[in-house]
Amino acid sequence: MPNGSGGRWPVRRRATRAAMRPTMHGTTRGAVLWLVLAALLAAFVPAVARAQHLLVPMDDEQANHLKAYGLMYNALREGRRGEWLLNYRGGSFLLPDVPELRRRAALDGVTVQPIDDGTLSGIRAEIASSNMDAVPLEKAPRIAVYTPPNAAPWDDAVTIALDYAGIPYDKLWDDEVMHGDLAKYDWLHLHHEDFTGQLNKFYLAYRGAPWFAEQLEMNQSAAQRLGFPSVPALKKAVAARIRAYVVNGGFLFAMCGATETLDLALAGHDADIAATFVDGTPVDANADDEMDWSDALAFQGAHVEENPVVNSMSDIDGHQVNVPGRRQPLGTFTLFAFSAKIDPVATMLVQDHRTVIPDFYGVTTSFMRNRLKPSDVVLADEEGAPWVKYIHGDLGKGSWTFLGGHDPEDPQHSIGNAPTDLSLHPNSPGYRLILNNVLFPAAKKKPLKT
Amino acid sequence: MRVRSRSLPRAHTHALGRTLGRTLGRTLGRGTRITAYVHALALAIVMAAPLALHAQRARPALDSAYRLGMRLETTDHYAEAADAYRAALRASPGSVPAALGLERVYAQLGRTDSLVPVLHQAIAAAPRQGELRAALLRSFATLGQLDSLRAAFDAWLRDWPHDATPYREYARLLLERGQTLLADTVLERAQATLGSPQGLELEFARTRAAMGMWESSAQAWRAALRDAPYYDQAAMFALAPAPADRRDGIRTILAAPPAETGARRVLASLELVWGDAAAGWRAIAFLRPDSDGVAAWFEFAQRAEQAEQWLPARDALVRVLGARTPPDAELAARAASDALAGGDAQSALQLVERAASSADSQAVASALLPLRVRALGALGRPEAAERLYQASATALDDEQRSALLQAVARAWVRAGNVERASALLARIPGGDSTEAAGWIALYEGRLAAARKLLPATRSPSIDLVEAQAFLARTARDSSPEAGRAFLALARHDTAAAAGQLEAAARTLPDAAPLLVTMAARLYAAHGDDARALPLWQSVVERTPSAPEAPEADLEWARALRRTGQSSAAVTRLEHLILTYPQSALLPQARRELDLARAAIPPAS
Repeated sequence: MPNGSGGRWPVRRRATRAAMRPTMHGTTRGAVLWLVLAALLAAFVPAVARAQHLLVPMDDEQANHLKAYGLMYNALREGRRGEWLLNYRGGSFLLPDVPELRRRAALDGVTVQPIDDGTLSGIRAEIASSNMDAVPLEKAPRIAVYTPPNAAPWDDAVTIALDYAGIPYDKLWDDEVMHGDLAKYDWLHLHHEDFTGQLNKFYLAYRGAPWFAEQLEMNQSAAQRLGFPSVPALKKAVAARIRAYVVNGGFLFAMCGATETLDLALAGHDADIAATFVDGTPVDANADDEMDWSDALAFQGAHVEENPVVNSMSDIDGHQVNVPGRRQPLGTFTLFAFSAKIDPVATMLVQDHRTVIPDFYGVTTSFMRNRLKPSDVVLADEEGAPWVKYIHGDLGKGSWTFLGGHDPEDPQHSIGNAPTDLSLHPNSPGYRLILNNVLFPAAKKKPLKT
Repeated sequence: MRVRSRSLPRAHTHALGRTLGRTLGRTLGRGTRITAYVHALALAIVMAAPLALHAQRARPALDSAYRLGMRLETTDHYAEAADAYRAALRASPGSVPAALGLERVYAQLGRTDSLVPVLHQAIAAAPRQGELRAALLRSFATLGQLDSLRAAFDAWLRDWPHDATPYREYARLLLERGQTLLADTVLERAQATLGSPQGLELEFARTRAAMGMWESSAQAWRAALRDAPYYDQAAMFALAPAPADRRDGIRTILAAPPAETGARRVLASLELVWGDAAAGWRAIAFLRPDSDGVAAWFEFAQRAEQAEQWLPARDALVRVLGARTPPDAELAARAASDALAGGDAQSALQLVERAASSADSQAVASALLPLRVRALGALGRPEAAERLYQASATALDDEQRSALLQAVARAWVRAGNVERASALLARIPGGDSTEAAGWIALYEGRLAAARKLLPATRSPSIDLVEAQAFLARTARDSSPEAGRAFLALARHDTAAAAGQLEAAARTLPDAAPLLVTMAARLYAAHGDDARALPLWQSVVERTPSAPEAPEADLEWARALRRTGQSSAAVTRLEHLILTYPQSALLPQARRELDLARAAIPPAS
């Protein structure tokens, strides 16, 4: 092998000699030899002490499931590669065994298990023969959260989760969306923003509260600043921009009231679906007939709630938490099992160490089955109930995921409640669903097997 | 709740009389209507007699069945008690006590669903009994049958359209279920229908607090407390979670003139919970010294003592003392003890001397002596303490004399005269083997003697724990430097103590991390982070394997965070977690790390 390893040695020896010649004398030479030996040892010994891989188990052995997502995300952000072992021990992660990752795991209290190539081969064999798959994760998605500038991070489950896991994100609001900034991001989150422009009809209960007056004033001045006649008109335009973002390849994750109202605003582009208090005109008497559901992401054929004193937007939500007489009790929802090898995206979105999770209220808690589009993929539902909890779909080059409810660890969430402190819920299965969504855009697309 | 206790036969008689009277009057004409009514009433009585007789027969059956039910219920025979209560209800279908008894035992048996038809029958028999309606609402709420709950409320409202009770009961259940917004909707509807929130103040108050509308809640609590002052605890617990920036609004409302005892009591309790006991005392200090005012002061004193807010507790007890005749020596001693604990020895002495002069027995005066000695000692007047001892020694038994002499010795220690203290202890039989002698040995730097004399007790004081920890950490048998440091601590001269602990650390390398940590704690307790910080740093950097090192690292990080140096705090906390992975402080360190990184909401 003239050009193989034998061919490289003389070059290296020559380079070493050339570099050393001017200073190589007596004891100096000996010292340098020792130094070289020490350097070789230093480079070699840790490699022996380290395993080749770090397995981040995501079953009940994990001490902090939520921070494990932060460990994975930040590894990707630093240019490392990892794998998501779908359905393997609760959806474990695989990372290279490097000191920095061990250090970060120790700081965050994340359980990691060093494994060698032999052990990994065994794991891969198990994955190959079961409903499991290993998905390469390559690039940390750039994250944006649509939220008013004065919002505290503690009133949005996603920002709570991102902050706790140590995943960085930018905040955007109407100005940035209308100026086209969405294109800079891979992943966008919406929480309980009301895209019908009615501020979740909170004026019914909170019209006297200072925070409500401030929110109303802020929205009205944004509409004025951006050249819209009313808040509903502005929000419809923002909703249209968000839809275009998905069509162009963005990942959208919405929770709580944003799910329902985004689709209402998209379908109601030619209808007045906002109450008088916010735009000076009543809801169109035939608003239902004027809705164009072809523009909506997830829902179709819904009835718009035209009564301004009924705290509901439509009949999309199954639980109607704020409407006396309509409110439905909380149950539990069950995550569906998908084929990891055939349907990896849906599988990623439901990775969890629990499959049955206690439900939690939000302005929109659930989605009625009879209002779903046929193309929607249901990720979780309540058995026997006419509603589902967690849905996903594709639109254009992008995709969207909707999760009903406000805060998985505050099932009865009321305004004024203390913020959720995730250091008290480091293993929250509900919050894991949120973080699955953050991570799945990092997955490298595999060619379909069929 | 309004109770309508009209018995069935009487109600029927009157109704029958009115109906017959109207019928006969219409038949006989206007002039004869009064006579007709009298006749009709007589006729009605005759006709109602069988009903009355039935009721009289039913009554003993009801009473005996109900009493049997109660007896069985109190002996945990729930199934049998249910049978008895059902028998009582058969005898009198509208009996509230029997229905409520059945509700209780069915709840125990997990058979609340069986209660619903019974309650429907009871309500049909006694439609004006609010308790039965409320029990029906509770049953549906317990069963989670929300549609039925709502329907029962609507039916009640139809029957009692101008009464606050249905709204109140329904709103309460919604609040208990955490359905705050629904409760608010119901209460708003009640106010619109009834024209005022009267009778619903409590529910308004709870709802508004749950919604974070703190001022509105405080206003409603103030109104509710006027008629129901016993809700003061509920008010305090509802308003206490208000965030710091919303508390002034609550203060303004509860303190607004005219001063109302209920509202002021709640404000005083809130201030205590919010950490400003002095403000709490100011909220009630000027109440009239009537029975309500005195009760408020005494209750405040107890709460302040529990919170170790000694001086506001003393102030409240002094006001209680002023309102009591004859003077209460025991209460005065308690106030003096609080004053001493709060560091106001002068007022402690005044209180205890006044109490002693008015004490009606020598026994009481003797009981106050140790307090007087302690107060004199704290004031740096050991001679006066010793004179007091000498003047009263003959009236004391051996045990009292020994205790008092030790107190006088401590007074001398406090004044810095350890020799005199030692001489006094020598007067006590066996005085050289007491704990006090152990302390004096420590102050004199005789570590071997201190090690032998300081006792190992099950619940040692913090001072004793520190002294014993120090003695265990050094192999030396004497150290005048350490003795001086502990003496300064005993004299409450913490500034000197901190410096002397540092000096002692330089001469005792084996105990240096402990002594430096003690000094740093003293500086930190005084808010002197500038001096504490280098000490924490030195423990971590110079003695990283000392048991104090993880604590020093954590406190170093906390000091950095207090001074706004979050990123430096993060570095320290990371160092702690990575260097001492087995430390028991790791959970605290990780939480501090999350706080320093703003990864979790700031602690309120």
